[in-house]
Amino acid sequence: MTTQLIEPPRKQTKNSTAPQQPWIGNGNEAVARAIIEIGYDLEGYYPITPSSDAGEEVSKAFARGETDIAFVVGTSELAALGICAGAAVAGGRVVDVTSANGLLLKAEQMPAISGLGLPMVLNLSTRDVSAPLNIKNGHSDLYATLGWGWMIFMAPTVQAAYDMNVIAIKVAEAVNLPAIVAYDGFHTSHANRRIEVFADREDVRRFVGPPPFKATLEKKGDRFSLLDVAHPRTFGPYMNDDLINAKVQMDLKFDQAFKLIPKIFDEYAKLTGRRYGYVQQYGDREASRCLVALNTAGEAAKDAVDHLAAQGEPVNLVIPMVLRPWPEAELVEAIGHADQIIVAERASQYGANNYLANELGAALQRHGNDARIIQRTYGIGGLNFTMDDALVLYSECGTRNGERGSKGSVVTDAGSLRNPKSEIRNERGDRPSFSFAPHKTYHGAWPGDPSYDPPDTLVPLTVNECSLNAGMNGKVNLKELSKMPVRFDKHSACPGCGIFTSLNLFLRGIDGHVVLLFNTGCGMVVTTGYPLTSFKVPYFHNLFHNNSSTATGVVEMIRRFQRRGELPDEITVISVSGDGGDDIGMDQVIGAALRNDPFIHFEYDNKGYMNTGAQLCYSGFKGQKNSNAHFGPQQRGKTTHHKDIIEILRGTFAPYLATCAESHGLDMIRKARKAQATVRAGGFAFVKTLSVCPLNWGMDEHVGPSAVEAAVNACMHPLFEIEHGITKITVDPEASGKRISAGEAFNKMGGAFAHLSKPEFADLLAEVQEEINRRWTRLKAMSQHELL
Amino acid sequence: MVAASYRLPVKDELGFCNVFLSALGGDGANMAGKLLFKIGCKMFGLDGGFDARYGSEKKGTATDVSVRFCEVGTPVRQSGPTRRPNYLVVFHDDLITPLDLGRGLHDGAVCIVNTIQPPSEIRKLLRLHSGKIICLDATKIAVQTRSRLNMPLVGVLCHEIGFPDEQITKVIADQWPKAAEANLAAYAAAIEHLETETFDADDRFPLTEPTSIYGPIGWRNMLNGGTIDAIKFTTINRDNRIAGRGHVPKFDAAACNSCGICLTVCSDPGGLLWRQGRMEGIDPLFCKGCMRCVEVCPETKKGKALTTDYA
Repeated sequence: MTTQLIEPPRKQTKNSTAPQQPWIGNGNEAVARAIIEIGYDLEGYYPITPSSDAGEEVSKAFARGETDIAFVVGTSELAALGICAGAAVAGGRVVDVTSANGLLLKAEQMPAISGLGLPMVLNLSTRDVSAPLNIKNGHSDLYATLGWGWMIFMAPTVQAAYDMNVIAIKVAEAVNLPAIVAYDGFHTSHANRRIEVFADREDVRRFVGPPPFKATLEKKGDRFSLLDVAHPRTFGPYMNDDLINAKVQMDLKFDQAFKLIPKIFDEYAKLTGRRYGYVQQYGDREASRCLVALNTAGEAAKDAVDHLAAQGEPVNLVIPMVLRPWPEAELVEAIGHADQIIVAERASQYGANNYLANELGAALQRHGNDARIIQRTYGIGGLNFTMDDALVLYSECGTRNGERGSKGSVVTDAGSLRNPKSEIRNERGDRPSFSFAPHKTYHGAWPGDPSYDPPDTLVPLTVNECSLNAGMNGKVNLKELSKMPVRFDKHSACPGCGIFTSLNLFLRGIDGHVVLLFNTGCGMVVTTGYPLTSFKVPYFHNLFHNNSSTATGVVEMIRRFQRRGELPDEITVISVSGDGGDDIGMDQVIGAALRNDPFIHFEYDNKGYMNTGAQLCYSGFKGQKNSNAHFGPQQRGKTTHHKDIIEILRGTFAPYLATCAESHGLDMIRKARKAQATVRAGGFAFVKTLSVCPLNWGMDEHVGPSAVEAAVNACMHPLFEIEHGITKITVDPEASGKRISAGEAFNKMGGAFAHLSKPEFADLLAEVQEEINRRWTRLKAMSQHELL
Repeated sequence: MVAASYRLPVKDELGFCNVFLSALGGDGANMAGKLLFKIGCKMFGLDGGFDARYGSEKKGTATDVSVRFCEVGTPVRQSGPTRRPNYLVVFHDDLITPLDLGRGLHDGAVCIVNTIQPPSEIRKLLRLHSGKIICLDATKIAVQTRSRLNMPLVGVLCHEIGFPDEQITKVIADQWPKAAEANLAAYAAAIEHLETETFDADDRFPLTEPTSIYGPIGWRNMLNGGTIDAIKFTTINRDNRIAGRGHVPKFDAAACNSCGICLTVCSDPGGLLWRQGRMEGIDPLFCKGCMRCVEVCPETKKGKALTTDYA
């Protein structure tokens, strides 16, 4: 369905100060229209019915040149939202659309976005979560989000889907919280309606306001940009005891939002003539029966209310328009005198009372209202809900014509509801309080000392300092390298850890400004324990697996800001991951390689999930001892051969893939230079190093360098590179007469491997050796061939 | 075998004798605490709990372990670290002040401290209301007997709690058959080399309530999303020496030709002091003593520039 303008723009309507015009389209198209009008920097995208065409419409508009939004398709819903997170932390205004299972795949990223304080809008075209698989409307996806720290705006109509998008981003950016706009799948997403839209997109942009900051790094609302190389910050630190305070802060933002939303609704009403509130109350507030229903069911029920009123049976109807922050007093007030409340929900909380019913029941109890709640689950899997259904629900709670509320219910106005009887005691002012939930506070959180201001202990690195005289024309001089300032130091990794040896060496080959992104792993835990950071350059940790998607979002924003002339600095983005991060996040690394996004992905392969206690990783050697692959009569350690991530990535035809090792420092520096040159030329580079783990390999702290060298010489970690598909071995232990057996190398690599050279495991070792030989021979053949 | 005659030396109002071990990752405090709990249960018919502070602590970072003993039949309900120790074991005396280890101690607490300082000095650090302070150079004992730090300290603790020596030595021998000799030697040496002083409640220091977790950064002033300002909140003041247990490489400037190989293997950049293309030595505050650089430092005419200071 193409959108269509049916009348020329009108100047200004009676109720609005910004000209509005009629427009015909469905819910998804209305969302897309709002996205384009708002002027987002980036939409992360992955298709799922019924939200797919909200993205398709944006993509279409981009192709037509109607928007300059960066429309980036991820390898999954999770990747798409990771791209959004990266762009948001870099200062972008971002949006996404999803439904049902897609939302659940995003689930890990959702609380991370709210926890990091990144404002954005996620459009949720509601759909029931499988199984059995169903593509139609249901609120099981919506209800999963209730505790994720996202604001939730409801859109019962196509008009509201459009309007709430414009409103949500404004609120989100004002309080640094993300927002969901939920509209019913198919019932709204695919329903065509005639609605009113802004005649001039500039009016939308004026209303929403400029993005919180541009790449030029103006500060607003205490939100900072990852791209501020002049003031480096560590985003997403490792936080244990302090986490409760971060969550208090998040709740306080909801309190800010709670106070702000009515003002923004008001502002929007003045501009457009379309007024929203926390709650739509329809019908008779004095009536004894009240139906509470979300979105399209609530809309349909309005006809039932009119129908009953015409028959002399006044009833009440309440449609919540915002679920988070929870507008409790407004809901209780809107329910009014009813003593029987039918809470109809397009979902069930299996094995328990339903979601909204529970929340409303508790709300009524807190307000001394003993009205009876009747629960009805309806419409699961998209079954339609019409006026007739609403009439049945009303009829099921009695037909006391015209009867007014019973004595049991208490009705007061919202103002007095907000001052309940047992106010929390907070004389000291050191506990947070929330106007949306006056009985709620936190126990064990602490306010801190706002006057605390430790002295500066870092002078940010400059481009001049980080210029590299070494490494030009392929020549590397270690003395010159020593002059490159370190980008991090004083971490709390175990002595002899290979991660920081390798990364520090690699970074000595990278000049200019660097932004580091880390996947979860030892590397992030030991550098960013709150409130201190080891990093001297901007740093972001998002999740375990999606660094590569996150980096995509960051480099998209760098490109965009540079194109606009807003970001003078050249910045090299390096995404750092353990081998585990490239197991769980393999699809996303491949996705970044396929998109050829200009950043370096640097993998430290320590052959295990060392941060969680040495569990097996696919990159580990067959027969390796792991905490989840033991030795006994039934099993002999890891049962499969080592993953070769470079060969996996070969098929992406990314411009630069390489392996390196701390034992061959100059080789590593050359590869760092090439990787940076690749990125500067606009391409993706992947570099992997072998990283020792003295603790979990069971080796002495000092033997790391020789253990790595042994692995290289045994061709277990061959050093090579693939430039535009052409393979070249850069260190050939055979040619230099240094080749050793796997057994000899394992002996140096500590207790996790050394057992393999014992006589009783000779067959296992032979098998590993054979596999190593096979791969090495293959690699040599490719290295010798001019096309491979 | 259960020694039926054993009685706990002290109990709190809930019937527990609370032990708190403060150490660094890699000291073996966790293992020692588990062993202590096992000894109490298996050999002395006690009940109680072992609870460690879990996080992602790496080798060399502060950690603690709590062991609580009670008689069988006493309900064991609370979990997590003990907040009011009767027995405090400090693996490194320089943990006392930063971690405020004296807070929450019961009156008459027994404090076993690895230190070369006398009990009177340790009392000042702990601000101990009253109790007994036992000082020993556990590091020296561990090195001399080729045992580990946990052995002399836990040995003294068992002794103080009143577990009979012969039973403790049997458990040690059974638990680590390969290291039995070293561990038993450490145990014996520890018992012999103690400096003990008892302090009465003399009003010098008040009893204190347990530390509750707090800090200058809280929900009022934390940056959005827990962001850290890297200009102000650096690790510059962190002292890594403790991770290397005091050992850093020795540097001989005369033997050094600044070849740069050490630079390529250092696991905590900044540990090596390079200025203007020249190697100038080791920064002991950064260096964790892994000795990687010693491993790769080449032999020159004047020997190796980087060497270890121990055999």
